[in-house]
Amino acid sequence: MMQAKLDQDTFSTLVIQNQETLFHTAKAILRSDEDAEDAVQEAICTAFERRESLRETDKFRPWLLRILVNKCYDTCRRRRPTVDLEDVAEYLPAKSQDQTERLTLWQAVMALSGDLRAAVTLFYYDGLSIREISGALGISEAAVKTRLSRGRAKLRRLLEDK
Amino acid sequence: MDRFDEFDDILRERARREPIPIPEDYAGRVFRTCAALEDAPGKRRHFSRWAEVAAAVLALFIAVPNASPAAAAALAEVPVLGAIVELVTFRSWTYDDGHGSADVTVPELGGSAAAREVSDQVRAYTDQLIGQFQRDCETLGEGYESLDVTSAVVTDSDTWFTLRVDATETRASGYQFSRFYHIDKATGQVVTLSGLFREDADYVTVLSGEVLRQMEERMAADASVSYFPEEFTAIDPQQNFYFNKNGELVLVFDEYTIAPGSMGMPEFIIPAEVYGELLK
Repeated sequence: MMQAKLDQDTFSTLVIQNQETLFHTAKAILRSDEDAEDAVQEAICTAFERRESLRETDKFRPWLLRILVNKCYDTCRRRRPTVDLEDVAEYLPAKSQDQTERLTLWQAVMALSGDLRAAVTLFYYDGLSIREISGALGISEAAVKTRLSRGRAKLRRLLEDK
Repeated sequence: MDRFDEFDDILRERARREPIPIPEDYAGRVFRTCAALEDAPGKRRHFSRWAEVAAAVLALFIAVPNASPAAAAALAEVPVLGAIVELVTFRSWTYDDGHGSADVTVPELGGSAAAREVSDQVRAYTDQLIGQFQRDCETLGEGYESLDVTSAVVTDSDTWFTLRVDATETRASGYQFSRFYHIDKATGQVVTLSGLFREDADYVTVLSGEVLRQMEERMAADASVSYFPEEFTAIDPQQNFYFNKNGELVLVFDEYTIAPGSMGMPEFIIPAEVYGELLK
């Protein structure tokens, strides 16, 4: 559906409706809460400035997610190549942790490689379609399917009882 | 159902049961970001309207608790100011066209008839300020003007509530002025200065005399202090006031009204013995 440029109230309402998906996506890529919140904030501002480029309201979610994903990738590029242990501590097994204790799904997702996490998060947590994920991540639908397949296989190994 | 489909269902079910933890302040940050959105500087745009902003805020308060447990938790932390005065939300109005700029943020109160009455008064007052600002902008040409309005809770005890609304208008120079709104929590009534005193009490003359006395006393004690005692005739019957932390009555005057701008907004603490017999 073609439409005129979104006004601020409509834009804000759409953002708020999708705020959890935005955080999930940023967190999946960046791991850090603070970086994820920063990226979401930057994406909202950029999207508002460029809202004339959104031609169809019903494409708002993948359109905004694409902007967010690019912000996240920018953040990754700016980051130093090492990672503070503190940032990933919650996803590492504690030394005293009972190895038979089940991982939460989110711990398992965060143990996946970076290229799989966002696709898996958007598919399982936020219910996006393959096509929407393709638009959000800027990759082909075939690539999304491949990532989901690889992610699913790794999650099975991590989560299923031995 | 093949094995992958079954595992997909398990993953979806676990994702539903084990939501991703979201920081408590996240929803608030998203809202604040949205509320602060504006078109690029220099691009003339229409004024926002209070009603639209208020509607957006209302929509948030309805939508967010359904959307996010974290957001609901954050909203539950909205401070409650007292038994009959609650902060419902803040209302913001901003404008910037490169010459005129405004940033008006005031609270919306609820919880009692008195709190809502104060809220209505604040709304009417800020509407008036914004209306004047808009009219000024129409004739501004290449000049500059700004309007900033903020607020603060001065007193919030078991028996008394005072909200202060501070405004600054800037053209060639700045002009500061304030309004104080009071609620007597014991009676549930909105109170102005006249409401403190008996109907037959000539409090205006008494308080005016004390203000004049203090003006002259201060000028005699410090050569750098300056007031306009010869221009001061009397306080306004509804002069701005508040009670300080010691419970003393403080009269407040807008900038330039009784002193040069360098004196800011003069305040005078009125000793209780001056007016005690006039109280209700």
